[in-house]
Amino acid sequence: MMDKTEGGKGSFPGAAVNAGVNAAVMGRLKIAVPKGSLYSQSVEVLGRAGLDTSGLQNPGRQLVIRTDEAEFFIVRPTDVPVFVSYGGVDCAICGKDSLEEAALEVVELVDLDFGACRFVVAEPAFAGGAADDAYSRLGILRVATKYPRITSRYYDSVGVQVELIKMHGNIELAPLCGMADRIVDITATGTTLRENDLVVVDEVLRSTARFVGNPASVRTDARVRNLAVELERIRACV
Amino acid sequence: MIPVIPRGFKDVLPQEARWRESICNNVQKALSLWGYAPIETPTLEVLDVLKRGGQLAPTTFRLFDADGALLVLRPDVTLPIARMTATRLADAVGPLRFRYVQPVFREEESLRGQAREFTQLGIESIGLGGALADAEVVVLLAEALKAAGLKDFTLAICTVGVLRDLLDVCVRESGVGEQWRQAMLDACHASNLVEVARLARDARIDARYGEALSALPSIRGGKEAITACRALVEPLRCLDGLDVLEQTWELIEAAGVGEYVTVDFSVMSSFDYYTGLVIEAYAPGVGMLLGSGGRYDHTLEAYGKSAPAAGFALSLERIMQALLEQGIQAEPSFATAEPVVVSVETDEPAAAFRRAKELRGQGIPAVLGTGKAGERYDG
Repeated sequence: MMDKTEGGKGSFPGAAVNAGVNAAVMGRLKIAVPKGSLYSQSVEVLGRAGLDTSGLQNPGRQLVIRTDEAEFFIVRPTDVPVFVSYGGVDCAICGKDSLEEAALEVVELVDLDFGACRFVVAEPAFAGGAADDAYSRLGILRVATKYPRITSRYYDSVGVQVELIKMHGNIELAPLCGMADRIVDITATGTTLRENDLVVVDEVLRSTARFVGNPASVRTDARVRNLAVELERIRACV
Repeated sequence: MIPVIPRGFKDVLPQEARWRESICNNVQKALSLWGYAPIETPTLEVLDVLKRGGQLAPTTFRLFDADGALLVLRPDVTLPIARMTATRLADAVGPLRFRYVQPVFREEESLRGQAREFTQLGIESIGLGGALADAEVVVLLAEALKAAGLKDFTLAICTVGVLRDLLDVCVRESGVGEQWRQAMLDACHASNLVEVARLARDARIDARYGEALSALPSIRGGKEAITACRALVEPLRCLDGLDVLEQTWELIEAAGVGEYVTVDFSVMSSFDYYTGLVIEAYAPGVGMLLGSGGRYDHTLEAYGKSAPAAGFALSLERIMQALLEQGIQAEPSFATAEPVVVSVETDEPAAAFRRAKELRGQGIPAVLGTGKAGERYDG
């Protein structure tokens, strides 16, 4: 991390990089930070990139944290792409999974290499191939997921007809009560799957946290590109 | 029940309509000073014909007519103009310069807050190639935005030639194949620089080319960016379009709009039919493109006439959003003046008619009414 006084007040360091950009003229850099599992590491890397993130340590119920140089918005992970794509914020940290599911226009700048998880296809261990049997007899699989876009793209790519059931949480329940043959869900450690007696039958996608920018901000605001350079440097150091 | 209209469409009431009219007039005037002539194309096109010129966004409105022909609502104006030029103007002696103001239609998923009809202002310059023609398009784009009233905007320009060259060499000289090229183009199209870098690390590719591919998108700046790009790709002999870009840059500076223009090699998205120059226009406070353009030298060929061509299209609605962000009001013009009421109570109707005609003859909008004479009436 660079010396915090180096860039002077109103510009963040890392920012030899910040030359020629006056925060007072440009306004605060708007950054979305995802709630939940990516939150603490997001705050950490933004801090290491030279931003003042002290207000983000214990935000309580506050959703907007302002510093001299930046304005942080704490948002639901799946909403991050919307904020970025529509210019609500200049840049953000976002899981690749949310980016894939949203399929909105953002510039994917840096793979931050944390928050690793996998999208997997799982089925009850006790079912033991019943899904394949159902598929060959009925020509259709019923799959429950929170991520219909990723799931349908996956099944298109393997050429399997599925009926998707969109759910909002606790997807594991769907096959356990016989509502679906399989699920497509995210897993980091596999614990939830194991505890619910589900086994992985295929992998759909690997996801890590990404630093992303609004297309206009990336092209018009040097601070976004400078932050990307800093974050890439930090990632390479790890 | 309230009679609704389809989502993403809207009625335009006088206050907004006057503003739109005034911006369009100002921009059209600026474009016509450069010798661009107005044209119009049909709202509906034949899908198969339009598709020949370039990949259409999956978001077009399609419909069958009574003859069973599959039609598409004009999703942009560039392809229709290419079609028109290659057919009705096949024998015309170029160069041809066209300008247009036309609504375009794009299907959008629901719950994404996007319009499905918007208005494009744009130009096409057909029959000219090289730096002079490229510079004309860029400078005119800057002039159009200035004429619209914008004070602050950025035009990001680059050439797709360098990237195409690098990909060609990689595919030709290593075993990566067309699938890799397509994946690379898709990643560029999606502005996914993480994926570009990942694909560039493919072990089958000469590392020098891989490094150039992943370094290219972060090259940005003024003339020095072109120099930096040259230093990167000259040893690899993948220089296509770079000389023209450099000459274009010099002409843009000479034309006095250099302050608005940045060379930015990350502007590689949506270049499906582009063959050289690419331009994207942005304004502070608007997180979306104001417009874009570039050179498409092979598109007319697809319609049977070979001619170089370039152009740009701007979204009227996004320009208005940028003007609002920058606190710029509509300029008063004939369209914003409110009419004078000529009373039919104080005057005989026939005399009122004559009086109103006199006023209109002086260029003053007038209506007949029952209010007090001389009162301004807000139409």
